Amino acid sequence: MRAITAAFCLFVALPILWLVYAAFLPAEALVQANLATFGVSFDNFAALWGSGLWRALGVSVSATSLVVLGQLTFGLGAAYAIRNGFRLLGLVMVLLALPTELLIIPLYRQLQSLALLDTLAALILPFLASPLVIFLLLQALRRIPRETIEAARLDGAGELTIVGRIVAPMLRPELLATGVLAFASHWNLVLYPRVMTSESLWTVQAVLTELLRTRPFEWGLLGAAALVTSLPILLLYSLFEKRIVQVFEAGFRS
Amino acid sequence: MRSRWQTALLAFPALVVFGAFSVLPLLSVVRYATWRWSGVTEPVPVGLLNLARLVSDGALWRSLGTTLLFMFVALPAFLVLSVVIAMAIEGVRLERFVKALLFLPGLITVGGSAIAWYLLYNPDFGLVVELSGLALPWTTVPWAALLFVVLFTLWQQTGYGVLVTSASLRGIPREVKEAARIDGASEHQVRLHITLPLLKPTLLFLLVVGTVFALQSYTAVYLLTRGGPFGSTRVLGYYLYETAFERFELGYGAAVTLFVMLVTLAVASVQAKLLARRGGVEVQG
Repeated sequence: MRAITAAFCLFVALPILWLVYAAFLPAEALVQANLATFGVSFDNFAALWGSGLWRALGVSVSATSLVVLGQLTFGLGAAYAIRNGFRLLGLVMVLLALPTELLIIPLYRQLQSLALLDTLAALILPFLASPLVIFLLLQALRRIPRETIEAARLDGAGELTIVGRIVAPMLRPELLATGVLAFASHWNLVLYPRVMTSESLWTVQAVLTELLRTRPFEWGLLGAAALVTSLPILLLYSLFEKRIVQVFEAGFRS
Repeated sequence: MRSRWQTALLAFPALVVFGAFSVLPLLSVVRYATWRWSGVTEPVPVGLLNLARLVSDGALWRSLGTTLLFMFVALPAFLVLSVVIAMAIEGVRLERFVKALLFLPGLITVGGSAIAWYLLYNPDFGLVVELSGLALPWTTVPWAALLFVVLFTLWQQTGYGVLVTSASLRGIPREVKEAARIDGASEHQVRLHITLPLLKPTLLFLLVVGTVFALQSYTAVYLLTRGGPFGSTRVLGYYLYETAFERFELGYGAAVTLFVMLVTLAVASVQAKLLARRGGVEVQG
């Protein structure tokens, strides 16, 4: 079992290490087909200017940040309402099984009739609430003792105040970890942005797939592009890795 | 009374978003399935023509076969790996590191992952073939292409399985295992006869989630093989995408959407029944 685990870890790590390595590979190493050249070069990053990637980063960062903000705010409200007896969990569980990818055609029609195709709103509005975020926050809410909330009620606090002033601060680690997961899942949408928006609003994933299609032999450039676009998540993950793993595990402890 | 009103207010934004962008599209897809519609021009109602076409569409049924084949290869591997790895790292010093590492591929930029895989494993010029001479001919040979997509999916998703399994391992009381050990059971026997049966609800949960995912996902296919070679990796989701946004038959695409939903519902409900009968996980409301 140890051997299988070790082998699988290697299998998982290899593409990630290769990505980092390729990004800093000097162009000569590729020309000479000598991959053992150990040189660090930033040429590949410089070559990214004019590839449309920086613009796409701007689009992705702004859309994804707004989406995460919405998902956490609305998600906490919904999770708290469910905990208070509001009947919403059934719908959440059904939607958990229906990814946006599957609903792409009716969504296209809907955004078309609202004249939202090819706008930033198309990347944001449909994602403002997420069943997975509600589910994870609900699991976290269940660990807050009822007495804490009852006590606040007896003090005359309204439900909105309880969520904002008591529950939200108590769940800060969970909100943070869920936020990172939500960030990754919106950041990683590939087909949706390609279908709903045109080139001026392409996200990083759309540009990456385009680069892979049009310049498949420029390894260094591809590596650099892949690394740059992974950086926000890698950074968030390395800062909060322990929390994220904990929250995710706790959410699925049955 | 005031409290109930406020509770509803808290749920309201999520309800509006779900209503407008999930429930409404879900309902209207039935109506769109009766259209002939290119996405740009005005739709023309054609009645049940699209649904009739589903039955005689050979490519669709082949694509269902491909999806099921993908599922039958990927799911058992996913479950076995999740259990084996979760058991192997339980209580080990490197536990946290392994978990963090395995969870990573699910988070990093999926386009970037595809690039890394492409550059590493391309059978013509990838690093692996350069160094070892061994190559999986996934760009030209149908079975190899499907296997390649399976491997990529396992690379991305196994971390989730390990975390979920590991969480439920921790829920097993220590005394149960201790008792078996005192009775003279070997570590191997404890794992096989005590731990594994107790993991059953978790495994069934992973099976259902994994099935839903396997039936509907197609990002990996889009990034790596675009359904080829010779349609060998054209899973249902990708067929849906091609129909709608490459051949611009959105009306027929809506019918295919219905088909995918029905297949998912059928398979998942059989599994859910299995789950309920075995006294599986309950999501408390």
